[in-house]
Amino acid sequence: MSPRAASPDHPEIAPANADAVIACEDVSHVYQAGTPLESVAVQGVSLRIGRGEFVGIVGPTGSGKSTLVQHFNGLLRPTSGRVIVAGESLDRRGADVRKVRRTVGLLFQYPEHQLFEETVARDVAFGPRNLGLDEEDVEERVTWALRLVGLDPERFGPRSPFSLSGGEMRRVAIAGVLAMKPAVLVLDEPTAGLDPVGRREILDRVQSLRAEQKITIVLVAHSMDDVARLCERIVVLHQGRVALDAPTRAAFSAADRLREIGLDVPRVSDLLWRLRAGGLPVRTDRLTVAEAVDEIARTMRAGASGGRRERGDA
Amino acid sequence: MFRGLVAGQYVPRRSFVHGLDPRTKILASLALITVIFLVGDFPGYGVLAALVIASIAASWLPILAVLRGLRPILFLVVLTFLLQVFLGGHDDGTVLWGGGPFVVTREGVREGAFVAVRLLILVTSTSLLTLTTSPMDLTEGLERLLRPFRRVGVPAHELAMMMTIALRFVPTLIDETEKIMKAQMARGAELQSGNLFQRARAMIPILVPLFVSAFRRADELALAMEARCYRGGEGRTRMRQLRFGAGDLFAAFTVTAVGALAVWWGRVS
Repeated sequence: MSPRAASPDHPEIAPANADAVIACEDVSHVYQAGTPLESVAVQGVSLRIGRGEFVGIVGPTGSGKSTLVQHFNGLLRPTSGRVIVAGESLDRRGADVRKVRRTVGLLFQYPEHQLFEETVARDVAFGPRNLGLDEEDVEERVTWALRLVGLDPERFGPRSPFSLSGGEMRRVAIAGVLAMKPAVLVLDEPTAGLDPVGRREILDRVQSLRAEQKITIVLVAHSMDDVARLCERIVVLHQGRVALDAPTRAAFSAADRLREIGLDVPRVSDLLWRLRAGGLPVRTDRLTVAEAVDEIARTMRAGASGGRRERGDA
Repeated sequence: MFRGLVAGQYVPRRSFVHGLDPRTKILASLALITVIFLVGDFPGYGVLAALVIASIAASWLPILAVLRGLRPILFLVVLTFLLQVFLGGHDDGTVLWGGGPFVVTREGVREGAFVAVRLLILVTSTSLLTLTTSPMDLTEGLERLLRPFRRVGVPAHELAMMMTIALRFVPTLIDETEKIMKAQMARGAELQSGNLFQRARAMIPILVPLFVSAFRRADELALAMEARCYRGGEGRTRMRQLRFGAGDLFAAFTVTAVGALAVWWGRVS
């Protein structure tokens, strides 16, 4: 466990969750260990993800995000350290990997590249069938999952997945993972390569999924704006290590730290920081546009009553 | 799972052998392959083995990399040896060991050893070509060697280009396969269990996406090449010109001389 997480003098940092679905203890992963091409992807990561949490994992390219999340369902084994998923320790030989994969659904980057069946319905059915469900249950889950991602099962079910648009294909792939009804959903850059409308749609689906199904979600993302808007807690990876693990608001008020790592700050935070640097005493822990508007208006009103200000161009 | 060094993969070095013209190396390999099959007795292979070992030394290759390249065929070597020993059909030879239907004769063992040595020298000498020649040089050498045959309709440039592209995409496709396998495993696919038929069926969720992505990549590549005005090999110039040098002359002479010696010395008496 991270020593910071328990320290009482950092009240803004998320408390250690006793009811952790995923627990990583000092996990390291080295690719091609012992060869000249050896590279350390993840180094000494300790992390607990509690039931029902909505965690964002961010970090620059090559920071080990994708490698880390592949440990969450046993696709990768740690080179050292332990990963415990739903009480099952994955480093032991004979660990029940199937149970773990059932608990944790992992959606890879560009998941539409894994579609293979002749029809959308059969592709979504692949996961549930592998779980050994009978046909009736499988069909029910397919319908349910397609509805969840906003595709009409009647209309899209019989179509070929390869005849769909990019955004639709991605939603079919997401439905394919959802149909397995995982307790934890790990999404690795689910919006990469989509246009702003497609992006918004996917993320809104994720959000409503969280609200309706109460599942734990881990969102790996590049865009700070999305993470700031959706997640309650942010884990920043940098060069394979956890650089920051904090509730969203606290994380983005540490803007300098993020910039140091080479990450963008959400545009709203960025604006507030600039205003502050320019002399307007706004609070910087606002995350949405609406909050920022209120904050700026409040500050300017306060400023106007206290004395005339030069800078009023916001 | 597929990562790591591939057998016979190019190892960059600055050595005499690396610096040879790829055409010299291709022709020398072809000549050696012919010689290996012409040699009929052990002394010839002694000469060839000396040549191969000298070439490895002259190319400054880590001996481990060369040996690793032999590992995949070791099974084949042992198998052919055993087949020759037990089923070579030397019923009239000197019996070394006899037990039931299997008879081991001195001639059988000799024959087995001969075939095994032949295979080892064959693989070592050909892998030396790919170990010391970058894929780029290799295809270019091939193109140049095939150019005279264009008159009879051999599409030299197109063949070389296809080879370059194929080689270029091997690692990409390996990465892609790995990714797709993981994605399907995440959806509960069982790839390592079941009987042969079940395993073959389990490949479908991997092969279909793999082919789809290969076709997509091919389309994109074709578009990108056309966008840069690629129109085949006609009138294309090279950034690096191939040139025969003194070293090539030396290498060609050595290979010819040693090859002739091996054939003469290894003739069946």
